[in-house]
Amino acid sequence: MRTTRKLAQADLTVASSVDAGEQSVLFTGIRKSYGPAVVLDVDELALPFGQVVGLVGENGAGKSTMMGSMAGSVRPEDGSIRIAGQGLPLGDPLQAQELGVAMVSQEFPLVGQLSVAENLLLGRRASTHRVIVDRRAMNAAARGMLARVGLDVSPRRRVDSLSVAQRQLIELAKALGRSPHVLILDEPTSALGPAESQHVLELARKVAEEGGLVIFVGHRLNEVRDVSDRIVVMRNGRVVADLAPGEATEQRLVREMVGEELASAPPIGEPSSDGVVAFQADGLEAEGLGPLDLAVHAGEVLGIAGLMGSGRSRLLHVIMGARPSTGGQMRLGGRQYSPRSAADAVTAGIGLVPEDRKGQALLADAPIRWNVTLAALRRLAWHRLVIVGRTERRAGTEIVARARVRTRSIELPARSLSGGNQQRMIFGRWMAVRPKLLLLDEPTRGVDVGAKAEIYRLIEEERQEGMAILVVSSELEELFSICHRIIVLRRGRIAAELHRSEFSKERVIGAAAIEQGVA
Amino acid sequence: MTQPATADPEAPVPTDQLPASAAGARGATARVLGRLADSPEIGIILAVIAAFVVFTAINPLFSSVSELQDPLGIDLAGFGILAVGEALTIITGGIDLSVGSLTALFVVLSAWFNTTEHIPVFFTIVLTVGAGALWGLWHGFLITRLGIAPFVATLVTFIFAVGADEAIAPNPIPIHSSVFLAVTGNTVAKIPIAVLVFVVIAIAVWFFLERTYMGRQLYAIGGNREAARLAGIKIDRRVVLAYMISGACAGVVGIIEASRLTSGTADSVSGWELIAIASAVIGGVSLIGGQGRIIGVVAGAALLVVLRDGLVAVNVNAYYQSMVVGVVLLVALVTDRLRVKRLERTGSRRIARRAASDSPAGAAGKSP
Repeated sequence: MRTTRKLAQADLTVASSVDAGEQSVLFTGIRKSYGPAVVLDVDELALPFGQVVGLVGENGAGKSTMMGSMAGSVRPEDGSIRIAGQGLPLGDPLQAQELGVAMVSQEFPLVGQLSVAENLLLGRRASTHRVIVDRRAMNAAARGMLARVGLDVSPRRRVDSLSVAQRQLIELAKALGRSPHVLILDEPTSALGPAESQHVLELARKVAEEGGLVIFVGHRLNEVRDVSDRIVVMRNGRVVADLAPGEATEQRLVREMVGEELASAPPIGEPSSDGVVAFQADGLEAEGLGPLDLAVHAGEVLGIAGLMGSGRSRLLHVIMGARPSTGGQMRLGGRQYSPRSAADAVTAGIGLVPEDRKGQALLADAPIRWNVTLAALRRLAWHRLVIVGRTERRAGTEIVARARVRTRSIELPARSLSGGNQQRMIFGRWMAVRPKLLLLDEPTRGVDVGAKAEIYRLIEEERQEGMAILVVSSELEELFSICHRIIVLRRGRIAAELHRSEFSKERVIGAAAIEQGVA
Repeated sequence: MTQPATADPEAPVPTDQLPASAAGARGATARVLGRLADSPEIGIILAVIAAFVVFTAINPLFSSVSELQDPLGIDLAGFGILAVGEALTIITGGIDLSVGSLTALFVVLSAWFNTTEHIPVFFTIVLTVGAGALWGLWHGFLITRLGIAPFVATLVTFIFAVGADEAIAPNPIPIHSSVFLAVTGNTVAKIPIAVLVFVVIAIAVWFFLERTYMGRQLYAIGGNREAARLAGIKIDRRVVLAYMISGACAGVVGIIEASRLTSGTADSVSGWELIAIASAVIGGVSLIGGQGRIIGVVAGAALLVVLRDGLVAVNVNAYYQSMVVGVVLLVALVTDRLRVKRLERTGSRRIARRAASDSPAGAAGKSP
């Protein structure tokens, strides 16, 4: 199979005997930073048409930022991108589309209330009439697009009645429908089963064979190796390796992704009261999750690693009662625990610092005081009803001091704080409640190094007080430095469990990304 | 508990520190005034006073006692009570379009209870207000259980109730009970009973919003629903409660209007839901939810009432009234946006300064 690919490529190169620069996507000096953090810094990278290029790297390595720059959803500060010799205006999604760039990712979601056909043809004219929608023509066009991705659903169905995998294929069909020159696939198979994944890989090959450039961002290394003509590895915003499939063994890829840096683990104390199980799940199941067993002890920090879509956040949401479980049992502090809502979870003694601070945690316009007392307010209230100003202010001030939130006053709106301070404030919201089990979802996302260290210190302090802590993080260094144990999830199940002495990036990434067995 | 890092580089107002003695020198009265001057409601309160003075200057009778009692006082009671209930639903990020036509329905219903069914006044009131609360419960059910948008759920009632009051009372039902008529006819210390009812309700709702944990949770729900949910707030119950209070307020206003009209007349009020919403918005309640205070809502209602009755008192043609109210609403909204923008631009310096002098953290910094 590989030989035929090579042939097709050779044909293409011969057929279009144009200057090589005209036949590629060229990145020059592309830079993007958020505040002080440089997330993308690529001096030069040329990706010729007619190839599938695999793009791999850890979370936060800059892959999505680079792809976003090409699709126009991210605007780099500096540099240029040329597509087949034509300059691409930066940060302009429409221009990118016109130059033939199509991207499949979670960033351009489907409209759930519309039908499959409407979604596929959204923004395009399906009929010759200007105003009136010709449903028959639309559905026929949609059927053709669906057939291409091998998806057998009626074009009339509402998108929100479809499974995640089906939606993913519709995204792909939508992108292919634009007959793109450059097709960016950002983890297109993360939600798919093996057969569907295979089909997507074949489609990617086909687009490349027809002369297009396919950029395949993937976490499952075996898939990436299978489909790609070359593999680009990114780390810390830079391109660190550009490998042919022959040299790109999984071990090599993991090494390039991880880099030479040492996982420096500042000392953490041992779990204080060994043996006391704070939280336990047996055969826990939910949509796309489990069955899985796990136990967290009082005074223990348990890390959860895994790729995007492996069920990490989902697990936390099931424990928090924010998503229904479909099977299995949970026990909290020795007692049967079956939450039907987040309110049940909080009452039972569980807290969550969610992943999306702005969307899921922050009352941005409300004073800091409101933010920190939010979950504990009823307990602070006189007769569990009336808020006594002095009591609340005292509690608020104390929590703010303990959580090391730096502010002149707890009456300032929460949005006046920096990201790290906001995160500590949300952490403080739970310190005020003192739950038995604290769930942390990406606790240091988007905060700088100094703020990270302070958050680690807070975690360690609460742990010493006997709190059980469950941390989801995409940063392995983070898990290594604060966790006693790590479980690795893959497709909703536990793929590996590592104790502190066994921590290594190779092991975690191996378990998370490589399909066959544990490394 | 120490002062959380007054000299910290991350502090939003690092260079603009208040001299240590300044705050101490300010008296309590000055502080209250200062706080009022900083409050977003001050503009509306001044506007009410200004409008009142202007109308009195043109027609001195406008501020006579009888005029103040009725129509001014009773109008304020009606609009004010509706606006206060409405504000609760808006603060949760919803809206209640039904209060106007529900009021019209309850005008008829209360007269029917009392006159046709011979139910004593006390029980008439209980039944009417209870019906309002039940209706709010129904709205809450539609919104939280079935996920129907508040706008639509209450719009259904709005349309239904417009017809229902005529169905119950094709002809006006006269009210004979002197106790019923006393609600608007009698005064205590020259204040009509309806106005006292309004004052009690406004204070109760203020207390609920600002001094109970449930009120705070309403703000949190409107401010960031997902955050509120993940913090363990029982969102559905709180939202239902807001609509129940709003419905009950419509019941109270129905009684007041029936008493004033001395009969249960269909189509007695119309468009009052818009006045209630406008009062809330003029008073600083954000339609996005999560923001607004009762003092502002009351001031907003007062402004609309003074304008409405004032324009009548100075013989302005009726159709100009609506236009004036529209312009006032626009001015209030624009002024508020400008104020917010200015605050954002200047880094909320004044708020910061005030906050630093109010909070114990700031106080600790000042008197070592």
